[in-house]
Amino acid sequence: MTSSHRPVDIMTCAIANMLEDGETVFHGVSSHLPMVAMSLAKNMHAPDLVHLNIPGGVNPSSIAKASYSSAGAELLDSGEAYFPLEEVFDLSMRGRLDVAFLGGIQFDINGNVNASVIGDYHRPKLRLPGGAGSAVLIPTAKKAIIWRVKHDPRTFVEKVDFVTTRGNLWKIVTPLCVFEFKNGKLHLDTIHPTSSLEEVRANTGFELLYDTVRYTPEPTREELNMLKKVDPHDYRSIELK
Amino acid sequence: MKKVMCLNKAAGMVRDGDTISFGGNVLHRVPMAFVREIARQKKQELKIVKTAGAHDIDLLCAMDSVTSVDAGFVSYETKFGLASHYRRAVQEGRVKGNEHACYTVICALRGAQMNVPFMPVKGLVAGELLEKNDYFMVVEDPFSGNPITLVKTIVPDVAVIHVQECDQNGNARIYGPKFEDVLLSRAAKKVIITTEQVVPAGMMKRNAEYVDIPSFLVSAVVHTPRGAAPASCPGKYDIDETSLISFLGMKTKEEIEGYLSDYSSRDHSGERTALRI
Repeated sequence: MTSSHRPVDIMTCAIANMLEDGETVFHGVSSHLPMVAMSLAKNMHAPDLVHLNIPGGVNPSSIAKASYSSAGAELLDSGEAYFPLEEVFDLSMRGRLDVAFLGGIQFDINGNVNASVIGDYHRPKLRLPGGAGSAVLIPTAKKAIIWRVKHDPRTFVEKVDFVTTRGNLWKIVTPLCVFEFKNGKLHLDTIHPTSSLEEVRANTGFELLYDTVRYTPEPTREELNMLKKVDPHDYRSIELK
Repeated sequence: MKKVMCLNKAAGMVRDGDTISFGGNVLHRVPMAFVREIARQKKQELKIVKTAGAHDIDLLCAMDSVTSVDAGFVSYETKFGLASHYRRAVQEGRVKGNEHACYTVICALRGAQMNVPFMPVKGLVAGELLEKNDYFMVVEDPFSGNPITLVKTIVPDVAVIHVQECDQNGNARIYGPKFEDVLLSRAAKKVIITTEQVVPAGMMKRNAEYVDIPSFLVSAVVHTPRGAAPASCPGKYDIDETSLISFLGMKTKEEIEGYLSDYSSRDHSGERTALRI
């Protein structure tokens, strides 16, 4: 298939469409893309989605000022109540966080996530920023969505160097495709219309599991118009720049 | 006891080898003037504790002031890239990187707040963080017989928190996100407040219910206008991108020493006005 859309817009809309009305949804630091996707969902099909974040601004009415940080005061300034990080964690522990957005640097077919180190943990070849809340949120949130703007054989590997956390993933969204974690394995869910099965296979370090080849929906005109409104400065592509 | 003091004296309260925690989060309301003063005083072997840190941890790692970092996340945000001095220090074995899950730092501080040796923590049930770190342990819940993860309590010797307003007695008010700072003030043995403004006690008293950190928990108050820069301080100023980017380009200790001395007079600028109070 061919498509003229930017992969980042396909990713953002795909993520937005994973979110349901009324769900409690959390994003952390360095998380502009999911933050925009949440805002898009809230302005399209999920007006009662509950947007939670690190600074504690419940349902910020605008994310347009959160330029370099997705953990800054802007999200509280335009929020409707204060519910800070500590309490978001507690909420997830009580089983009341529906969706958490998390990162990572390496993933394998068994749903292991590495956000910690390459090499030995105590004397790493590469010290990564760390999993932040992943290790407690992935096991406790009802649905864990991971996004990663890189899709190459060093990111999707046979076996991760270190298991920061594992299990209970739901989806992994990349610039090429969406994976779904089911029956203990990562399955190819949909391929973006800007990519192909060959490209996904060439850039994935493990065997692709799938029943049928399906494609991620193209962003609609309404979605693209709304993206212009909620994210006029294109923060969603900040990681790709 | 007079709590308002100069930066030099307050930083002198930090001892080599202390477990220290800084308020704020990533690039927001971080007590950077104090962090720089610690670096200028060449403190050694600090054990840093924080949920998510960036410039504070990176700078002290660059100056070889740190032996361990207990944190869930250490990095600048996307636009400013990774904390390269922290990374290199861990990779070269100069600093021990004790990775937490943010929430486990919070639980470890809650343990300190309640003066218990550990806290049960739900959620951390799988993965190698559990296996590789001796501050996590899975035990049998004596009541139900089910496995439960414990995290060892961390008691900071010192917590340094930057706020927008504080009176001369140490009653401190945070505007905007408080992050984990209120908890931190209860968990630490000593609390040092750096503040944008020293306000009259009478004014603070009029809104006593908004005081986040009461004076009896506070050992020192330092007047440091723009004391969070180059991080942001909600309601006061945004990040100083130029300064941050210049720091991120620095490779050697000598360059960073220059950076620290460039900040020195600004970091001490609040002292004269504060000491008149």
